[in-house]
Amino acid sequence: SRDELVCGSSNVSLREFGCEQSLLSRPDGSASFVQGDTSVLAGVYGPAEVKVSKEIYDRATLEVLIQPKVGLPSVRERSQEQCVRETCEASLLLTLHPRSSLTLVLQVLHDDGSLLSCFLNAACMALMDAGLPMSCLFCGVTCAIDADGQIITDPTAAQEKESRALMTFAIDSKECRVMMSSTKGSFSVHELQQCIAVSQKASEKIFQFYRDSVKRRYSKTL
Amino acid sequence: MGNVVQRRTRGALRRCPFEVCGNMAGLELLSDQGYRLDGRKATELRKVQARMGVFAQADGSAYLEQGNTKALAVVYGPHEMRGSRSRTRHDQAVINCQYSMATFSTAERKRRPHGDRKSTEMSLHLKQTFEAAVMTQLYPRSQIDIYVKILQSDGGNYSVCVNAATLAVIDAGIPMRDYVCACTVGFVDETPLADLCYAEESGGVSSLALALLPRGGQIALLQMDARLHQDHLEALIEAAMTACKGVSKVLDEVVRQHLQEVSVLTGE
Amino acid sequence: MKDTPLANCERDFLLKAIEEKKRLDGRQTYDYRKMKITFGTDYGCCFVELGKTRVMAQVSCELVAPKESRPNEGIMFFNIELSPMASPTFEQGRQSELSVKLNRQLERCLRNSKCIDTESLCVVSGEKVWQIRVDVHMLNHDGNLMDAASIAAITALCHFRRPDVGIQGDEVTVYSPEERDPIPLSIYHMPISVSFSFFQQGTYLLVDPCEREERVMDGLLMIAMNKHREICSIQSSGGIMLLKEQVMRCSKIASVKVSEITELISKALENDKKARKAGGRCGFAESMPQERITALKMDETPVEMTEVTDRANDIVQKAEAPSQTVPSPVVPVPGVGQVGQGLQNTWGLEEEDEEEENDNSGEDEEVKETKMEVEQHDKEGSKQEDVVEISDSEEEEVVILHPETPDKAPKHTGPSFHQKGAAASKKKQKK
Repeated sequence: SRDELVCGSSNVSLREFGCEQSLLSRPDGSASFVQGDTSVLAGVYGPAEVKVSKEIYDRATLEVLIQPKVGLPSVRERSQEQCVRETCEASLLLTLHPRSSLTLVLQVLHDDGSLLSCFLNAACMALMDAGLPMSCLFCGVTCAIDADGQIITDPTAAQEKESRALMTFAIDSKECRVMMSSTKGSFSVHELQQCIAVSQKASEKIFQFYRDSVKRRYSKTL
Repeated sequence: MGNVVQRRTRGALRRCPFEVCGNMAGLELLSDQGYRLDGRKATELRKVQARMGVFAQADGSAYLEQGNTKALAVVYGPHEMRGSRSRTRHDQAVINCQYSMATFSTAERKRRPHGDRKSTEMSLHLKQTFEAAVMTQLYPRSQIDIYVKILQSDGGNYSVCVNAATLAVIDAGIPMRDYVCACTVGFVDETPLADLCYAEESGGVSSLALALLPRGGQIALLQMDARLHQDHLEALIEAAMTACKGVSKVLDEVVRQHLQEVSVLTGE
Repeated sequence: MKDTPLANCERDFLLKAIEEKKRLDGRQTYDYRKMKITFGTDYGCCFVELGKTRVMAQVSCELVAPKESRPNEGIMFFNIELSPMASPTFEQGRQSELSVKLNRQLERCLRNSKCIDTESLCVVSGEKVWQIRVDVHMLNHDGNLMDAASIAAITALCHFRRPDVGIQGDEVTVYSPEERDPIPLSIYHMPISVSFSFFQQGTYLLVDPCEREERVMDGLLMIAMNKHREICSIQSSGGIMLLKEQVMRCSKIASVKVSEITELISKALENDKKARKAGGRCGFAESMPQERITALKMDETPVEMTEVTDRANDIVQKAEAPSQTVPSPVVPVPGVGQVGQGLQNTWGLEEEDEEEENDNSGEDEEVKETKMEVEQHDKEGSKQEDVVEISDSEEEEVVILHPETPDKAPKHTGPSFHQKGAAASKKKQKK
């Protein structure tokens, strides 16, 4: 049914997605985020003591670590780490915890496309679970443009492979602005704007999901 | 007919023990007559020779040969904590062990004499053994360094290191609960073999290394590789303990002899 | 990050509880925590939960050249990754004592016990063999990492399927899973590690210690066994002194535990096999507990595209068009070019910018003349001795130290001295 939707292209879809929060006992905040078959586990430690060499006098030091499933982290993981770190830094109120450290660890559980957006979503849920102050929430949406110029949101690994261009945006919850973008392949300005618009639309769904899951989580205490 | 021929080759092997490094697979480690590759009986240890106080500069040192495996152990301490002070223990001394193999110690040249997983693990095991045996609570906030180097390797590296280090610690005058003696034993044809040499170790024998404090029969370290049925475990541990007790007798003799020599020199 | 230290009263409390045969989580002395084994979407991906301890293992394979000493045997590689997620004390990329210990124990448990038929992994003798790599990731550390890791690793190995290969002459073809069904590894037996912790110099013994118990224990004994009651490896750690009887008792307990765990693993494998055969989805997404209050799932949702095109058009139209003019390149000196506005390119201009401004037509002779002049000037300068101070080569420092022998200096310094002196004197001229 998914393939039809893609071919039809008048509407695109997000795969089914799910999340579980505070599933690990050791980290201060943890979450697993599943998008179709892609899944990521996130754990947050902090605010905690920081190494003197990494100390920043007016805000917390955020460290993002991405663990691949096989082998050791490589350049690919490093660049993804940076994308996630810059997004988190933009939304977290780091100045509230000067001279302390925040560590966000992301573990790939399965990669079936749209991995970077899944990292972002898992990171946001874990940060929420850790109860860290943020100016806004954020989510990640990946769009692919296939050979015919059709836009596919939340592509699978197979769709990513066949696509002409691949874009991931981090979008904030307040004004639906783009916080981070990571693109691959070639596309026109018009296509870029279209993808941003689609991502903003899709982000509404994800933020609604965030809201629902938090509502469910605190349903007994409220 | 074939059987007879085989026997003959075995006999030949027994006479010249240094040819064994050829074909491992077809080798029988224990002959029908109960002899091993190098002509020892099953429970027989290799010849142990040792000297204490080989270096003047160190607080304690010893050189030990067990068959063709030769090791040098040096002890410094107890002294003030060096390096990272965060490891300081307020109630006991910290033991720091470093194990290395000389580049010329084996037939194949190693690129790194220390620092790989295996030697780090060996250092860890030595540390653990001596943490159990040395009375560390007598020296709070201090450090004892034990350096062991294998000069020639022919099986039982761990055991030889422990035996050499024991002598070095005694030479340094650091109190221990007892001698720590270690021995590697193997299991072939339902028979435990004491003190394995390299050919036996690499011949696919299940081997067990054991460090013992002989007087109380306490095991400071136990390590076993390869498969062995549970029912045989007791026999194997028993054999290892007997072998360790044998080693402890030799070590005790070496210590006594050394003390005698020293007291003669100092004129007491 | 440093670990939270254990308070003395907490330590005393734990030890006292152990003396009274009680454990924090209400278990008996020889009880394991609740164990759950699930599988990922891929073959060879296994999650193990042991109480709150969580471990993931992933098996992968690759065609490599075999080791010279064993030309027709496949290679097994094990790696336990102590991810900082599991505990704040774990640091990325550092070989800690614990990591060496766990890695070696896993190697000994699975490789040295020869539980996998490595000869069946040979493709072309002496040229190509399969390398099986097992990555074990620690996700949450709540004690007894070794047991969880060994269970995860062996289960993942049992679950793994490698691609089929075909050999025709010298050509080796690796078939994708669509072409030919992948092949499971041939596993002889399943070694499983069981950990025993000792307290009060070996007086008390607990099976499957949790993190708190591990922090107050004196030492640990790990016994790896298979269900045929064959011991695959024994390792004691920590400065404890054991008696032979204790070791024997532990080995008996281990044999019972191992048979229980083996049964659980085979059941989990069978369930997964059934699920895969039925064609249902299986994987991490399916194993997520739905009934928990902390979990939520949303079905596939369409994203409306109605306004998207209009909006994009709108933005593109409204956006200011970038200027179409392309600035022509400027060549300040031969070999140096510059395009666009911005800072002035200073390549090659440092020394000769004065001349640059004077002669834009490139009269080489004039430049040479100035240089000659400068050199002469410089020779005089070196005799005058005060010019030399500006430059920094060692020989010239000597000159400053021995001002009474100024004539010697030029002989020692050679041609480089002249050039430097020239530059220096030029600067002087400018001033």
